[in-house]
Formats: sequence, structure tokens, C-alpha cells
Amino acid sequence: MSQSAAPAPAPARGATPPAARASQPGAALPGSQPGIKPIVDTPRLLNRWQLIGMTVAIVFGVLSALVQFLSWQSDGRAADDTEQLVRVQEIQSSLLRADALATNAFLVGGLEDTDQREEYDATIGSVFIAIAEAAEAQPADRDALAALNVEVSGYANEVEAARVYNRQEYPVGAEYLSGASEGLRDNALPILGNLADANSERAENAIDGQHPFWLLVLGVAAIAGLWWVNHQLAQAFRRRINTGVAIAAAIVLLATLVSAAAALRAAGQNDGLLDDELSSAVDQAAARTAANDAKANESLRLIKRGSGELYEEPWRASAAVVEELADPSTLDAWSDYVQRHSAIVDLDAEDRWAPARTIAISDGNQGSTAPFEAFDAESATLVDEMATETTDSLRAGRSLALAGSALTLLLGIVAAVAVARGIGARRREYA
Amino acid sequence: MSAINSSRRRIGAAAVAVATLLAGCGYEATPVPEPAAEPSHSPVEAPDCTTEDRDLASFPPSATGGPAVQRIRTDEVLRVGVSADTYLMASRDPRTNRIVGFDIEIVQAIGEAIFGAAFEPGRHIQYRVITAADRIPLLQDGELDLVVRNMTINSCRWADIAFSQVYYNATQKVLVRSDQADGNETNGEYHSPDDLAGQRVCAPTGSTSLDRITEDQDEAVIVPATNHTGCLVRFQQGEVDAITGDDTVLAGLAAQDPYAAVPEQEPLSDEPYGVGASQGDEDLVAFINQVLEDMRADGSWQRAYDRWLRPELQVDAAQPIAVQPYRS
Repeated sequence: MSQSAAPAPAPARGATPPAARASQPGAALPGSQPGIKPIVDTPRLLNRWQLIGMTVAIVFGVLSALVQFLSWQSDGRAADDTEQLVRVQEIQSSLLRADALATNAFLVGGLEDTDQREEYDATIGSVFIAIAEAAEAQPADRDALAALNVEVSGYANEVEAARVYNRQEYPVGAEYLSGASEGLRDNALPILGNLADANSERAENAIDGQHPFWLLVLGVAAIAGLWWVNHQLAQAFRRRINTGVAIAAAIVLLATLVSAAAALRAAGQNDGLLDDELSSAVDQAAARTAANDAKANESLRLIKRGSGELYEEPWRASAAVVEELADPSTLDAWSDYVQRHSAIVDLDAEDRWAPARTIAISDGNQGSTAPFEAFDAESATLVDEMATETTDSLRAGRSLALAGSALTLLLGIVAAVAVARGIGARRREYA
Repeated sequence: MSAINSSRRRIGAAAVAVATLLAGCGYEATPVPEPAAEPSHSPVEAPDCTTEDRDLASFPPSATGGPAVQRIRTDEVLRVGVSADTYLMASRDPRTNRIVGFDIEIVQAIGEAIFGAAFEPGRHIQYRVITAADRIPLLQDGELDLVVRNMTINSCRWADIAFSQVYYNATQKVLVRSDQADGNETNGEYHSPDDLAGQRVCAPTGSTSLDRITEDQDEAVIVPATNHTGCLVRFQQGEVDAITGDDTVLAGLAAQDPYAAVPEQEPLSDEPYGVGASQGDEDLVAFINQVLEDMRADGSWQRAYDRWLRPELQVDAAQPIAVQPYRS
């Protein structure tokens, strides 16, 4: 891009070009007399335009880089918040899983299945580990997790007491167990609900952290500013385009288009993750939690022999959640489990308690435990896959976004230098 | 150029400040829900159930039965509401997963009498574990044929259901820590409800036991639980100092905890137990009264008492004599 008008003849040092004097009446020298055409201070005007042009370029670079930096940071937070959300849901699922194992083991009697017992111990252990990890990962969750820790400790102690009394054949064991299950639902699950809600909101807000619109606004504003500077120069020097300012505008335009396009693409990708992978992970984890709740209620209805309906209503509520939220690929196993559960209900209603209990505790093909375990395992795998895919995708483009942020800042500086050099050329002409 | 430098410094500082502010913005702490509220005791106005001897009279024993007995034989099932957590009276045996206890022996005797030689407990008796509050409604709704669940006979209940003759004379007493029943007066020995002033006393929610202890000692702190076993859990966790209830129930609780004891004391009230049946099933009630007389005659009541209750109550007891005259 070149100057379209012929260069003005170089004036003597210290003199003011006539054109400049004519076009800048407002920039009169101090002490000019009224009625006399004011004398324009062109070097001062050039300094001012240079300052404005460079400021526009620098501010564009800094703000645009900042917006991209925040988006980069937001993606990181989204990944962290998603991991925390999945961790919280894993705690929830594991707790209900532990309850399902504890109640089912209790149903077996004093000589409980050692594998089931080991699995219960491992599951409760994993809950405590996950609580500690979650508290480390998100300071804002620490108070809630501390309260949860107290509740889970109380639950584990009561289950232990139930087990000890069950081995001594005392009915107070069943009371400890049902009290533990009740306390888990009344006190621990509301805390986990708050944690899941808070982290879900955080993850969704962070995933929504791409701002292509603001990048465009910044670019347009910067180009408008540079256009104004160029317009002032054109009026003063009868040259339509200042090369330096034009180069700066081109840099701003390029940086804006590239950064906004990248942000737009990332926003679309994040929306897709939110609607697909993350949504699937959250729904399947909720379905898994509800399924374990149902299985625990199935055992409790048989432990509290004959009071089935007391536990059947919560079983039905949990089953409805599973059917609403679970991925269709996992529902075959769930349907098998529901069939076996219906057989338990029918037998229990006829007071054929022993065969009902056999179905509930048997891990063979005729028992309700095998299809339930299949659903639980499939759900756990699916949640893990979806959650990993979400966090991996969120983290995948981050280094590029950070590089883009740094490059935009650099381009802002380059644009500022271009403005300085462009106006510097005018100043040299003037000098 | 100093103006330019100064502006650059200002812009840079502002950018850093904005970045720091935005980058460091913290999350709002996750709210911690309030713990679930503990159930509280709301005293209920107990109906005036002055029970006299004639209220304990049932229908004359009859081995022949009638339409209700015939209905049960036709259905081939006797539906009975029982407890499953009242140790010694009716509770689940973790080894066999069967409900066992003194009340269950009464049910078995009734089942044998109804079904004769073909009697199979697993086939002919359908147990339904019920709460104390369920006893009368389930009989009135016809969902149960009988309730054998340490149920006290009184004049008010006679208005809703029918009772057999008394099959056990229980009394309401108080269970305390074993160190309050060791004979050492220096550590707060329990003698009477006067000693419960300021103490936390537990009984099932909505039970008349709670109201009675409040009448006897209004300075006692009432702590309700779902059932008596729930009271034992609270007792073991140090949340209550005493439990009140029928001596049979308290004996079952004490048997599960060596640090719980039912000291020698004046009973707070008499609790004569009867088998509950629907009004209109008088023939069934008369049939049960015959079964109870047969149990007296063949010693099976005494054997059941000696097996389940005597070891813990440590009292020689005999089957109550039927109150006469019988109802007509």
C-alpha cells in the first residue's frame, strides 16, 4: 500500500506545512490572537495520533489476548470441573453401591460372602479416597466434603455394628443397618446433591467460556480506531492511506478473523461435549446411582421381612430414574434385573420369602444380582469413557489457544510498531 | 515520548490487574445442607381406656370354629401380622432367616390347630411384619386374619377389633444402664420413675409408653424412635439414658446388650397381651381361645415361656387364667 498523493515539498525546519495549518484549526498554538487564523502544531498532532494509533493496537492486542487467555483458562477449568463432577458422582454411585453390597451381604446372614464383604470394604475405601481427592481438587467443595466425610464415617461405623450384631444373631443388627441406610439417604445424599449441582453449574459455565463475539467487537473497534487515525492523517497530509496504519489494520483484521474463527469452532466443540459426552456421563452416573439405590431397597425389603411396600415405592422411583437416564445400550441388563426383581416381589407377596431371598442373593443366572452387576459394570465403563472423552477434548486444544493468545499480544505490539513507523514517516517528511 | 511511555505503563498495569482479577476469580463455596431434623415427641392425648377385668374377657373357647376358620382353611393360608425385631417375642434369626420367638410359637400352635396334620408352617402361615401402628388398620381392612404382636388388650381397642383371652401378662417397665442396676447407690441406682427426672427416655414414636412415662415423670426428656430396637441403638450410642416399654420387649433388648438391665421395680402399668382378630371373626377368636387352653393343658405354653422369656426375665410365670364370665 502506498501513499496516493504526491509528497508535499519538504518545508524548512521549524516551519509548518500550509496544508497542515489549513486542516487543523483546532490545534492552535497558545497565545494566538482572536481573528487571526490559528497556527497548527503539526508535530504535536502527529504525536497525538501516533499515541492514539499505538494505544489502539496495544489495547487490541492485550484485550484480545486476554479474552483468548481467559478462554484457554476456562477450558482448563471446564476440564477440572468436569473431573470434579464425575468424581462427585462416582462417590455417590460408590456409596449406594456399598449400601447395596452391605444390605445384600446382611441378607445372606451371619456367614456373609467374603467376596462381597471385600468388595464392600474396597468400595467404602474408594469413597474415602475420592473424598480426599475431591477436597484437594476443589477448595470450594471442602466444607461440603468435610460434612460428607462425617456422614460416610458414621454410615461405615453403623454398617460395621450391624454386621457384628448380625454375626451374634441379634436383631438390633438389622436396626443398625436400616438406620445406616436411612442416614445415608437423609444426610449424605443431600450433600452429594449439592456437590453435583454446584460442579455441574461450574462445568457448564466454564465450558461456555469461548467469546468469539467479543473478539470480533474488539477487532472492529480497533480497526475503526485505526481508520480514524488514518483519516486524520489523510486530511492533514493529503494522502489517503498511511502505510504503517494500514499494515496495523491488516494485522488487527487477520488476528481478529483467525482468533474469532478459532473461538467459534471451540465454542461449537464445547457445546457438542456438553450436549453429548458430558451429558451422557452425568446421566449414566445418575442412572447407576439410582440402580444401586434400587438394589439396596430390594435387600432391605427382604431384611425387613414382610414390610415390602415400605421399600418398594423408593425402588420404583429409582427404577424410573434408571429407565429415563440410562443409555439404551445398558438397558438390556437392567430389564433382566427388573424381571428378577418382579419375581422377588411376587414371591415375597405370597410370603414365599426363602425363594425370594434366594433370587436376591444368588449370583447365578437365576438371581437378580448377576444382571444388576452387569448393568453396574456397563454403566461404570460408559461413565468413565464419556468423562475421559470430555476432559481430553477440553484439554486437547488448550496449548494452541494459549499460543494464539501470546501471538495476538505479539501482533498487537507489531501493529503498534507499524503505526509508530507509519506516522514516524510523516513526521520525517514534515521535518 | 514520555507521555507515550507513561500511557504504556498505565495500560500494562490495567491489563495485568484485569487479568489477575479475572483469572483469580474464586468459586462460591458449595452449600452444606442442614442435617435432617430429629423426630420430636408430640404428646398425644391418650383416649380414656380404663381397662377393667371384664374387658379382658373373650369369647368362650370352641374347637369347632365357624365361617372365619373355614375361610382360612379354604384359602389354605393364615395371614398373621407379627414383629420381626422384638427379640425373644418375634425376630428374624440371622442363621435361618426365619422369624422366631414366643409370639411365633403361639402362631404355630394356632396354625397346627386350624390345618391339622397337613400343617406346613412355610405354606400355611403367611407372616407380615408390621409396625405397632399398623396392627388395627390392617385387621380392619381385612388384610390380616390375626395380629400376634405383643398387643395389649384394652377397652378402646375392643371397639375396633376382637381379642382372644390373655395369653401373656406383661408390664411396662424401664431399662437403664447396668451400672444403675448393680445395687450400688452411689452411682445413681434406678428405683422408680422419680429417678428419671432430667434423664433422656426413649420409646417408640406415638406409643402410649411415652405418654405414660411423661405422666409419671414430667421432667424426663422424651426421645422417640421408630421402634424399641431403634431405642436400643440410641441407648448404645449414648443418645438416651433409659428405655421404657413392656418387660418382654425390654428383656429382649437387655439380652442383646450386657450393659443394659431391667432392675427390680414397680411396674408402671399392666399390659395383658391378646391375639387380635377382625370384629365379626368371633368364631376364630373362640377357636384361638381353645388353642390357648390346649397349650395350657399340654404344657406347650409353659415350654415356650421357659424357652424364650424365662432366661431373660428370670421370673417363674404361668399362663394367665381366662377371665370369666366369657363374652357372649
